[in-house]
Amino acid sequence: MERLFKLKPLEQAVVQLILLVYTAIVVFPIGIAILNSLKPNLGEVYRSPFGIPSEWSWDNYAEAWFGANFSTYFMNSAIISLSCVVVVTLCASSTAFVIVRMPFRGSTFLFGCFMLGVVIPIRLALAPLFVIVKSLGLLDSLLGVILVQSASMMPVAVFILTAFLRAVPAELEDAAKMDGALPFEIYWRVVVPLIRPALATVALLTFVQSWNEYFLPLIFLQSESNFPITLGMTQFRLRFDVQWHLMFAGILIMLVPTIVAFLLASRQFIQGLTQGGLKE
Amino acid sequence: MAKSSYKQKANWQRMALLAPGVLLYGIFNFLPLLGLLALCLVDWPGIGPMEFVGLKNFTDLFGNPFFRDQLIRAFGQNMIFFAIIIAAMLLLGTFFALLLSFGTKGRHIYRSLFFLPYPLAGAAVAFLLELIVRTRGPLNVLLVQGLHLVDKPIGFLGEPSLALPTLAAFYSWHRMSFAIILILSAIVAVRIQLIEAAMLDGASRRQTLKAVVFPVLAPAFILITVIVMVDVFNNADYTLLLMGPEGSPGRATDIMGTFLFRSAFGGSATTVDVNFGMSAAIGLVTALIILPAALFLALRNLRRD
Repeated sequence: MERLFKLKPLEQAVVQLILLVYTAIVVFPIGIAILNSLKPNLGEVYRSPFGIPSEWSWDNYAEAWFGANFSTYFMNSAIISLSCVVVVTLCASSTAFVIVRMPFRGSTFLFGCFMLGVVIPIRLALAPLFVIVKSLGLLDSLLGVILVQSASMMPVAVFILTAFLRAVPAELEDAAKMDGALPFEIYWRVVVPLIRPALATVALLTFVQSWNEYFLPLIFLQSESNFPITLGMTQFRLRFDVQWHLMFAGILIMLVPTIVAFLLASRQFIQGLTQGGLKE
Repeated sequence: MAKSSYKQKANWQRMALLAPGVLLYGIFNFLPLLGLLALCLVDWPGIGPMEFVGLKNFTDLFGNPFFRDQLIRAFGQNMIFFAIIIAAMLLLGTFFALLLSFGTKGRHIYRSLFFLPYPLAGAAVAFLLELIVRTRGPLNVLLVQGLHLVDKPIGFLGEPSLALPTLAAFYSWHRMSFAIILILSAIVAVRIQLIEAAMLDGASRRQTLKAVVFPVLAPAFILITVIVMVDVFNNADYTLLLMGPEGSPGRATDIMGTFLFRSAFGGSATTVDVNFGMSAAIGLVTALIILPAALFLALRNLRRD
């Protein structure tokens, strides 16, 4: 097996060359962004987009940050995505616990209803969703966006957690039940610690998805003070479109949290992709 | 007595555990999906009274040239968009996954680097790549002054014939590692059992690839195709972000997602002809288009556990 996949020196060189070319294509836009975000003025970006900045203008980041309310957008994005993580992990895990461990008449049907949400994306039901959110008086509020985004993550989260829970034996829970523990206690003290790895995957998927979501906030938010960073970026672009060096700085500011999340948890990312790669 | 009170309490607590998730999903996801069936029968601009019109939205959508032409165009362009992306993902994805599956030096570093764009926000990717491909942008500077491949800058997003393929290239750049990783994990999974057997039979590398690796890749290919199809038929973020709800230039980048958005919220601030019922009808038609693929995906995942 090893022999079969070992490359001869010439083959190794060709493969390396091809992979380096693709690496360049992947890194090119991000590298260009970093380089040009540090240039002192637009002229230099036009003249030599690949050149080293004549002076390193770190002020661009401050200018982008303060020039475009980035602190408000960041705060809103953090509130939305962290709330979504809490809501989705709690609601999906308790639902999955009841469906798998305490089935009742209709629980299979209920699971089927959740799977409908996996199959049909909520964006297609944009019009009825808008009607519901409007009639509940949740238009243009962070709460409305949090509820809508959490609900859109629920099907995949329930799917991942039920699959995980089905694969672990119920011995611990049975023992707790023998001792007279009630469902609340079993859920909180036995099941939640048990499914922690799957909860981590769900939390990560939810965080990244809700941080990156553009469409749902676009539909439900109107006032700029409520905008998350994805909508804020479009506002920023309206103002700074021609000032490329500031655009690059703003885009990089927006990318930092997801890149940090990725560096901290790249393995869970790849796992989540193969496990629950349903959504994307 | 004590036993029945335990049972009562347990039942009550079970309901309490179930309620939050069911209410959240029910109100903000399941009900809207069912609501499509009702809302597609009305004419309603978003405020004021609703007017019941029966199947008029559907007869308009398929019969009235104003809507029909938009539908045909959006659907056709959506198919082209999908075809470019899926071709890129399957061909290049398999190619890179195979290269990474050999005893390639630094393959773990390459894998991580290739994965870098995946977690980035679509909005950031769209704006970043749009800056890169502008007529005075770095890519055109490279093509014209650096490599002398063309005489004058290319308007990647300005030319009607180039805009849609350019957006498809953005999508592929963003999502390629998804295909690479799924195909790579399929290759790695098959290696251990099958490849050793093939080798014992004295198969060459090319024979092994052809007879063992490619047949096993079929499930990964199908999975990627289905997921990408569901995504590109409901998600029009790139077009909305860069080309607006009208899919400029001249609707050359209009796809189902923008058509649906436009029919509910209008193409521009001055549009008066909006109808939530029509938007629901388009949503329902799109759901029917992707339903076979989506059902396949759901069944496959249910069977697995």
